[in-house]
Amino acid sequence: MLKVRNFKKKYHQHEVLKGIDIEVNQGDVVALLGPSGSGKTTFLRGLAFLTPGDSGVITFDDQKINIESATPSDIKKLRRKMGFVFQNFNLFANKTAIQNVEEGLIIGHKVSKPEAKRRATEALKKVGLQQYANHYPSQLSGGQAQRVGIARAAALNPEIILLDEPTSALDPELVADVLQVIKHLADEGKTMIVVTHEMAFARDVADKVVFMDKGLVVEQNEPTSFFDDPKSPRLKEFLSRISAVNVADNSFEYEKAVQK
Amino acid sequence: MNILFLIQTFWAAVRAIPVTVLITSASVLIGLPLGFLLAWIKIRKIRILYPLAVVYTSLMRATPMVLLILLFYSTLPSFLNVIMNQKLHWHIKVFDTNPVIYAIIVFSLIAIANLSEVFRSAILTIDPGQKEAALMVGLSPIQAYYRIIIPQALVSAIPNIGNLTLNILKGTSLAFMMTVQEVTAVAKTAASYTYNYTEAYIDIFIIYFILGTLLQIIFRYLERYLSRHKLRVKAV
Repeated sequence: MLKVRNFKKKYHQHEVLKGIDIEVNQGDVVALLGPSGSGKTTFLRGLAFLTPGDSGVITFDDQKINIESATPSDIKKLRRKMGFVFQNFNLFANKTAIQNVEEGLIIGHKVSKPEAKRRATEALKKVGLQQYANHYPSQLSGGQAQRVGIARAAALNPEIILLDEPTSALDPELVADVLQVIKHLADEGKTMIVVTHEMAFARDVADKVVFMDKGLVVEQNEPTSFFDDPKSPRLKEFLSRISAVNVADNSFEYEKAVQK
Repeated sequence: MNILFLIQTFWAAVRAIPVTVLITSASVLIGLPLGFLLAWIKIRKIRILYPLAVVYTSLMRATPMVLLILLFYSTLPSFLNVIMNQKLHWHIKVFDTNPVIYAIIVFSLIAIANLSEVFRSAILTIDPGQKEAALMVGLSPIQAYYRIIIPQALVSAIPNIGNLTLNILKGTSLAFMMTVQEVTAVAKTAASYTYNYTEAYIDIFIIYFILGTLLQIIFRYLERYLSRHKLRVKAV
């Protein structure tokens, strides 16, 4: 469904992405891991042309975009297939939770107002925030705000949802709820790319884990082999630094949260 | 202290309040859209217009109001006279034009420059992440600006717009130099017959104090009304 070839990006003289190749199939959940500064976020933002790459080819279904020669209408068409969830939520501060979700439906996708309201209500219900529909972002906790952010992206029913460290800005106790919501989307068969530091989540939910370091994809594999049988020395080193106990103990923490 | 004079002059000066209010409000109302346009030019760094906007802003902000008024009032009518009557032969009585018009022009020029800076900084305080989010849900860049960014920027600009309005209100006291019959001019003229300047100044003081306080209350209310979404209500 989505294929990226030789994606490159330079900031001044510093080469952040040195040629990323990635393939995502329909229904896949791809977890993008790697140390800080490895270029994960830059790559994800580059896919949506929020900070466009310098060169490379993005193929999405039948649309093929050469990054260097992408026109605004190419970008608009590509973005229509994508939802984006931001690390710091980026909710529209002047709009309530439900208006945040409706905005894209009514203005962006020209859905009628009653239909947009119906869909927005349903999207909020899915993330468990129906009763917060008329709250402004400043009245929501970080976890609630991020769930609205996810509802806003998912309500448009995009073909793929890109999630940029969706839980990094949250208090630890709020992480579980958000991960649970993302897991629900995965269970529904949503295609997603998630940049994350939540190893247990990556292991449990992802179909494919991609490890990036210094602007390159070092290793990619299905989660079990990825975590239990890393091939490259760099990944071994990375995994050994994250306490194995941590991964084992905290796994399914979001499941626990639901049982409460 | 001549109490009778104090009271008489007070009511005379009160009758001149509409002129003061007219100059202030007209200048700010003209300044709002044009100042916004100028801010837009500066933010988007629009070619050719950008350096002009920057030069205009710093020129207006760096020079004292008094100087602008004197310069403007002594040169503009003659300048217009040359253009309209000697070149175009329109036969408009430039020198008979109500000086209030000139006052409004001068104060508008000052308001535009200052408001453009107010708007520019207000727009820049809004996290660009919201614009990115808007683009990702299908809004065009222009829709993102007028539906998401600008409504929030306006709210954060309100206190500064209030300050500027207050400055212009106080600045209109200089319009007496353009023979405009506003509060200060009326009181000073009355005083000049009997040399009761102290009483006249007390009158002026009271009037500006009342007007200024009212303005502050209005803007505080406006700010509170527009920033409803910032109020932290305890979550249900």
